[in-house]
Amino acid sequence: MKKLSWITVCFAVVLAVLLAGVPANAAKTIKVGIVDCYSGPASTYTNDVRDAFKLAVDKINADGGVLGRKIEFTTRDSKFKVDIGLSAAKELIMRENVDILMGTINSSLALAISQLAKKEKIPFLVTFSKSAKITGAKGHRYVFSFTENSAMAGKAGAAGLAKKPYTKYWIAGDDYEYGHAIADGVWNNLKKMKPGVKLLGQSWWKVGEPDFTPYITAILAAKPDAVIIATGGRDCVPFLKAAKTTGFNEKVPFYMHTATELSTLKPLGLNAPEGVIGTSNYFFYYPETKENRAFVDKFKAAYNRYPAVGAVYGFMAADFIKKAYEKAGKINTEKFINALEGLTVSTPVGEVTMRAYDHQAMLPMFMGTTKKAKGYDFLIATDIVIIPGKEVMPSIKEIKKARGK
Amino acid sequence: MFSGLTNRRTLGFCIVFFILLLFLPLFLPRFYIYLLALIFVTGLLATSLNLVLGFGGMYQFHHAVFYGVGAYAFALFSKKTGLSPWLGYILAPAIAALVGMVMGLITVRLSKLYFGMLQLSLGSLVWAIVFRWYSFTGGDDGIHGISVPDMISSTTGSYYFTLIVTTVCLILMYMIVNSPFGRTFQGIRDNPERTEAVGVDVKRHQLAGLVIASAFAGVAGSLFATVEECAFPDLLFWTLSLELIIMCLLGGWFIFMGPMLGSAIIVILRTFVGIYTEYWTLILGIVLMLLILFLPEGVLGYFQEKFSKSKNAALVEN
Amino acid sequence: MEFASNITIAAIFQQVLVGLSRTTILFIVASGLSLVLGVLRIPNVAHGSLYMIGAFLAYTIATLFGGGTAGFWLALIIAPLGVALISFIAERGLFCHLYEREHLMLLLFTFSFTLVFGDLVKLVWGSDYRSLSAPVFMQGSFSIFDLPFPRYNLFLLVIGPLVALGLWFLTNKTKIGKIARAAAVDREMVGAVGINVSRVFAAVFVIGCFLAGLGGALVAPTQNITQGMDHAIIIEAFLIVIIGGLGNMWGALLGALIFGLTDSMGILLWPQFAIVFPYIAVIIVLLFRPKGLLKSTW
Repeated sequence: MKKLSWITVCFAVVLAVLLAGVPANAAKTIKVGIVDCYSGPASTYTNDVRDAFKLAVDKINADGGVLGRKIEFTTRDSKFKVDIGLSAAKELIMRENVDILMGTINSSLALAISQLAKKEKIPFLVTFSKSAKITGAKGHRYVFSFTENSAMAGKAGAAGLAKKPYTKYWIAGDDYEYGHAIADGVWNNLKKMKPGVKLLGQSWWKVGEPDFTPYITAILAAKPDAVIIATGGRDCVPFLKAAKTTGFNEKVPFYMHTATELSTLKPLGLNAPEGVIGTSNYFFYYPETKENRAFVDKFKAAYNRYPAVGAVYGFMAADFIKKAYEKAGKINTEKFINALEGLTVSTPVGEVTMRAYDHQAMLPMFMGTTKKAKGYDFLIATDIVIIPGKEVMPSIKEIKKARGK
Repeated sequence: MFSGLTNRRTLGFCIVFFILLLFLPLFLPRFYIYLLALIFVTGLLATSLNLVLGFGGMYQFHHAVFYGVGAYAFALFSKKTGLSPWLGYILAPAIAALVGMVMGLITVRLSKLYFGMLQLSLGSLVWAIVFRWYSFTGGDDGIHGISVPDMISSTTGSYYFTLIVTTVCLILMYMIVNSPFGRTFQGIRDNPERTEAVGVDVKRHQLAGLVIASAFAGVAGSLFATVEECAFPDLLFWTLSLELIIMCLLGGWFIFMGPMLGSAIIVILRTFVGIYTEYWTLILGIVLMLLILFLPEGVLGYFQEKFSKSKNAALVEN
Repeated sequence: MEFASNITIAAIFQQVLVGLSRTTILFIVASGLSLVLGVLRIPNVAHGSLYMIGAFLAYTIATLFGGGTAGFWLALIIAPLGVALISFIAERGLFCHLYEREHLMLLLFTFSFTLVFGDLVKLVWGSDYRSLSAPVFMQGSFSIFDLPFPRYNLFLLVIGPLVALGLWFLTNKTKIGKIARAAAVDREMVGAVGINVSRVFAAVFVIGCFLAGLGGALVAPTQNITQGMDHAIIIEAFLIVIIGGLGNMWGALLGALIFGLTDSMGILLWPQFAIVFPYIAVIIVLLFRPKGLLKSTW
């Protein structure tokens, strides 16, 4: 009996706390809720998204906001866990009454929130997840992607590699969704663009693989012309380390999607391997335009570091939000979505259009080769080739097929 | 432990409490209804763990596996077969119990820490399979957009459904704990040698306990899939299992409702601390540390002890 | 499956060497865990966090001294000592009050340290990836049967036996080692003889944690130093200790060998499911030897 009365007391206290915590509804702002992973290895990417978004939002608010309203944003840490992220997203929708959701780097969580966004009719702007399913097979009216995805990376990689003289390939990568998606994307497109290519074999390692040496030696034994490495996130750094140690990059040229990214190259300092081919949506030193330089200066002044690729996603998302509301002329979700479809915004990487059919931002891709450069204590990408957004996007026919139409 | 009178009063109290919960959706904002449903699911899971941990004294270090298996069984059933999702609610505990039995058959021979570590490694094996088997489980992306019966797909609908299922499961578990089987089970915890000497088959009882706990964890898994409409490999990861043990400890693991309270505290803290800071794990760590140092019997256990002391004092005075 | 066609003697030989250098790291980490588990009866989940802190400290120290050869050696010595200092404070401040508690409580208590250390690392070192370079003469690789083998891995192969030898000396030839072994078997007895058990326990705890820090510092040049390193290693270390026999140092060595070699052979034979090979090895061992391969002190 006594213990049960204690349960009531506890529940009553809890309920009181809960009800007291209901925020007062200030209707005069546009509320953006960001759910992303700010703990663990992935946070090196997500912090840039948030910081650049904040930079852009502060500027917009200082200039008087959007349609007279200020943009307000709040973040939740998902800790790379789907359940925590999903309940945070629900909290943002139901309790904070956000107008827009943003995030996340975890594909599984992005797909889960996308499903929720569809049910709740809240726009969800994806800022780092690379899963092609988000705007592909599982796309819908309420989800938008502001980042390249594995299908686009595949096309870009293939487009770049098709111009090179290699014919015999080996594929190796992280044995999970992302790795396989990148590998399939590159390979299927490469076969189409250059029918003579041959696949000698493949090898797959687990995420967090402690030692890449055995894989590298197996690949070398097969003597391919070039290798496609489909690894991402935190495994990029140790793989490049192993490539340098074993002299892999000197024996065989290899392509690795995010090899040239700042988050990968900066920790390695001058010990990164040279001559690695990589693709990325952004380099702070390229394109050498006025817009990009202004953005880099602003970011560096605010945070005392160079912006990595995530910064462009965050910065761009804020601009898209502003322009879309202005085009809609009203703070209304459905009108916002209609306005966002097909909208073009000028960004540090040039003009970017949000494709109306699948809600995928048509971002250009930059392919370059790692090299030491004067003035930097880490390697940068050189001989950069631009692969325009139009070329890397999956065709609408492919999207329709993926959606089963 | 309970006299007839308090027993009746407890029952009355529970009914009043249940009715109160039934009326909550009428005036509580939607998010809190969802949060309560989440608490029921997590609480049911923690209570099922406590069957073996608190009442059986077995170091079940990887209980989350059965939760995940239940959620996946439900998700895959409604995704792949196209039969009525209601059947999934029967299938989920059945599959979880089956997995629990297979693992139990292997592990139950070992004692204490060895038992726990073997559960952990077997559970990690199941996790690895779920994580890797793309064509069937969807790999690390998981399964999204599970079709739930329309009746219970809204926030309020899923709240009522979890409330009722959780209540039924709690009653069942309470009956099990207080049955002759349950008493033997607790006897094994307190003194395995003596129980064995009396002629009880200790291992068989422990196996049965494991299977029952797994089945209830499977129910919790199917409820999670109902509330969140997705399933993913995190549900089977070992860190979740340790968090469950924390919930049991927090509430008090010698008390039936302890884990329920523990999970309510953890879920609420996690949600609301997470609003203000990214350092939720730091706070959880410190709370846990203080708890072990100062409140090893858990919150409910602490109050119960306080009360029984004052009651005893009162009796002496009279 | 294409990999299967590449199984040659040279490949197997190289794979064994790679497996052995992995074994070194696993052994150093697991032996520390086993020591604490055997003597103090603490299942220290925070061991993985100390390993992670060891790696981060090694990075910071090496960078502080300019990242050269001298910096590397200093890091290798100071980082584990720093970890030992942290563990000393934790032991004297908190753990020494809890020795009589149940194992489950101790396990949860160390888990709370894992949670705290995880966030502290995030606070101190931030979220960027870190990388530490081996000294110049250890960079690059040798050629063995025409296959490259990293020089640093060879260094690990030398360090492994040295640590094992040092541990053997410590437990068998020194007074503190002998007392610790006696205390592992019968705590009261040792106390009754008039020896300050508490001090011995503190020493053993600190040595165990030192080994975690050493493992972290040694692994730093081959890996990406990031948050989350703790979760990756701790389960493996526990399983190694369990299959070897709780508290048995040679058991930890044997367990590490089984783990390192099944993993590297799994990569060669069936890369798609290499991740499950060590788990299966554990299950097989425990099915036939439920108390581990070698004699446990428990």
